[in-house]
Amino acid sequence: MTIQHNTGTLPSQEKHLVLLRDGRTLIGFLRSIDQFANLVFHQTVERIHVGKKFGDIPRGIFIVRGENVVLLGEIDMDKPCDTVLQQVSIEEILEEQRLQQQAKQETEKAKVTALKDRGLSIPKADNLDEY
Amino acid sequence: MTDSEQPETETAVSQPQWPENGGQWSDEEGGAGMDECGLAEMAEEDEEIDIYNNETFGMDMDTEVGDTEGDPTNPLFKFGEKPPAPPALPSLSPSSPSFSPRARPQLRVQGPPGRRGRGQRGGQAMAQMFEDPAVVRTVEGRPSLQSLDSAIVDVGSVSYWDDLDPDAWMLSSYERTRHASGSVLQDPAIVCVMDSHAPGRGPNYLDSHYPFSNSSGRRGGLRGSYSNRPFGQRCPSQINTMLPSSPIVSRRPFTTQQPYNQVGGLPSPRPCPSTPQPLTPKMMQLRFGANSPRPSPFYSPSSNRVQRFRFPGPVTQLHPQHRRLLSQRQQRSQRKPDSWDPYCNLMSAKEKEWIIRLQMIQLQSENPHLDDYYYQEYYRRMEAKLAEEELGMRGKREPPKLTTPYVTKMDSYTPVVHIEGSLGQVAVSTCFSPRRAINAVAAHCPHEELKDIRQQRLDVLKKIEKLFMVLLEVEEGQRMKAQVLGEGEEKGLMEKTEIKVEYIYSQLQHPDLEAEEEFLPCLLVSKGKQLLARLLPFLSHDAALKVLSMVTSHLPVLMSRDADESLPVLYPSLRIVIGGMTFSQLIGVLKDFTTSLPDSSDGSVCLSLVCQSKFGLSLLYALLSQGERLLSSDVPLEPSIGDFETWTDTVFLVASQLSQSALVEPLLLPSNLLTLFCRYLDKRTIHQLKSNMESATGYLALPS
Repeated sequence: MTIQHNTGTLPSQEKHLVLLRDGRTLIGFLRSIDQFANLVFHQTVERIHVGKKFGDIPRGIFIVRGENVVLLGEIDMDKPCDTVLQQVSIEEILEEQRLQQQAKQETEKAKVTALKDRGLSIPKADNLDEY
Repeated sequence: MTDSEQPETETAVSQPQWPENGGQWSDEEGGAGMDECGLAEMAEEDEEIDIYNNETFGMDMDTEVGDTEGDPTNPLFKFGEKPPAPPALPSLSPSSPSFSPRARPQLRVQGPPGRRGRGQRGGQAMAQMFEDPAVVRTVEGRPSLQSLDSAIVDVGSVSYWDDLDPDAWMLSSYERTRHASGSVLQDPAIVCVMDSHAPGRGPNYLDSHYPFSNSSGRRGGLRGSYSNRPFGQRCPSQINTMLPSSPIVSRRPFTTQQPYNQVGGLPSPRPCPSTPQPLTPKMMQLRFGANSPRPSPFYSPSSNRVQRFRFPGPVTQLHPQHRRLLSQRQQRSQRKPDSWDPYCNLMSAKEKEWIIRLQMIQLQSENPHLDDYYYQEYYRRMEAKLAEEELGMRGKREPPKLTTPYVTKMDSYTPVVHIEGSLGQVAVSTCFSPRRAINAVAAHCPHEELKDIRQQRLDVLKKIEKLFMVLLEVEEGQRMKAQVLGEGEEKGLMEKTEIKVEYIYSQLQHPDLEAEEEFLPCLLVSKGKQLLARLLPFLSHDAALKVLSMVTSHLPVLMSRDADESLPVLYPSLRIVIGGMTFSQLIGVLKDFTTSLPDSSDGSVCLSLVCQSKFGLSLLYALLSQGERLLSSDVPLEPSIGDFETWTDTVFLVASQLSQSALVEPLLLPSNLLTLFCRYLDKRTIHQLKSNMESATGYLALPS
């Protein structure tokens, strides 16, 4: 709800991680904010995760419009990093991502055709009960 | 603003030097040698534009400071002593647009020629300016400019203001210097322009009572700006002493600054050149579009001035734990100065504070535990954990509790709230009242039949949402009742709750449908079921019975259209209702289960469906269990005629159905069911029944 947490220590030696509404993850130095949570990221890196692998794409300076921010957090460099994630090259991670998207689309298509054969249809969001 | 060119041309055209051009005086070398003729017209135009711009957007700052280093106080004193202007000048109205046109002709007409030597720049130019009746007149008209110029110190009394006059002029010129960096449009100036049209502007700047009065706030804000400025050489000692004394004179702003000193351990409000002032975002009247103030590109609005305390009411504070964490982090970061980042201080501490405060304003709520649940909960748990640890270590010690000031909810709905210096609209009122900017109004279709299915569905959904809001209030009232309330309060609360419950109940019933089918539209929606389930505890027994009978009578429909299996949500509440039924009521309800379609010979359709539905089966079990309980208890039953027969018939029917069809696992299997069946049925049937039920539930229905 608020962004007080970070602004106290904005002379940032720490990097910040922001998750955007479109699912992108950006990591960089948060240089400036405003009351709408518009962010200025410096030396930003877009991190793509596929399975246990991830890849970093350097992006430079990002200005993110506040409405697209889902969450924002500080990365604690001091904490021990005992992650199982394995960093790979950009090309590789992009390839992995493409494959993942493709697989997802195929399963979705298969599901829809199967249901159609049975005369059912998964209701789309606008038909559902809950808002 | 390209004032740099102007003074050169201006002096060439024998105009009196406006203070704002003072800085350029030192620059001009060959003022006398300029081509006076060719540039004269241009200069005039430029000057017109310049004056207009200055009046509208604030005086140009960069000129004054450079020039007045000689002896700034002298000309000011001289200035202050100047007699009023010659009568020829019209009186200047407070409004800026009218000011400049009138001033301009005066300047040109009455500008004293000569005395243009460079050496005389410092004091003499000033003197020259002061000699100019137009300039002197501007002093009198100062109140209007003051309302424009954020540089004017707001003081608590007129007398102080008079004393301060020369210095105020000085101060205002300092303010103008600040504009040098480029922005023509200064928020306070613009806003003041707008404000200056408001009547009764004069005394306003003395009046610090207006919570959101712009001019007063802005004047008060000067103190901050001077802390910004490189006071060093420029600032006369007089001014230096003036500024710190302003807190003395106008006590109010600083006392009200106190609470903000608590936030994050801010520096004291004493202005000094290097420490940043605590700033407060200030609420303002709404300005839109062309009127909206633009933040200067180089200074965030907050850095321009210390804004007087203008928080709308008491403000929430950070949780003490949170504050501690933040300060710890700050200390940690301060302890590591090695890796210095060239961009790390892009945001000044003031700007950060400003944003923090802005966000704090938005945090105000009557019920922080509800509105800011995660934050409050997180820190409550942290407190509890710490308390637990400390309990082991140091014995009981009260962990620092967050005291949120009680905030009275704003009664007036301000749809668009504008905080000064903020970029656009802030979310202050959006928690409770969405911004009017986004106004989604559903087109209302008067005729029910004309609406298509989708529209009807949307209507039902909307209605349910509204009712849910009321239900939440009812539940909140219930929770509050648990706290100790005064006698009168409790009664009032009860009444209100009653009204709300009635309202929801009546609203759930669709007006157009027949008596029995009223609740159906809402009940077919899973959220409607949840709503009803939560409402049931609050309903009177009769109303609750009505709901129950309605559910049972429409059970087949409900069960068949229960796509997402949300019916079971009704079970617990209905079970409680059943527990309070009398025998006759029970029989009436049970009839619904056993009614068969006129053209079907075997068993009831309903019963066969019920066996397949978790909810239906559980409901049936609950009803039978209640009947059994009533029968085996000592309470007199007061049955109506034919009740017992119906009862036995029902039991038989149910038993036969249950033993024949495969059963699903019910939500709850009452323990006295088999006892009931044992009494009425033969062993074989019972055995079959038992095995059927057990296979469904997976455990023994009754040890036997």
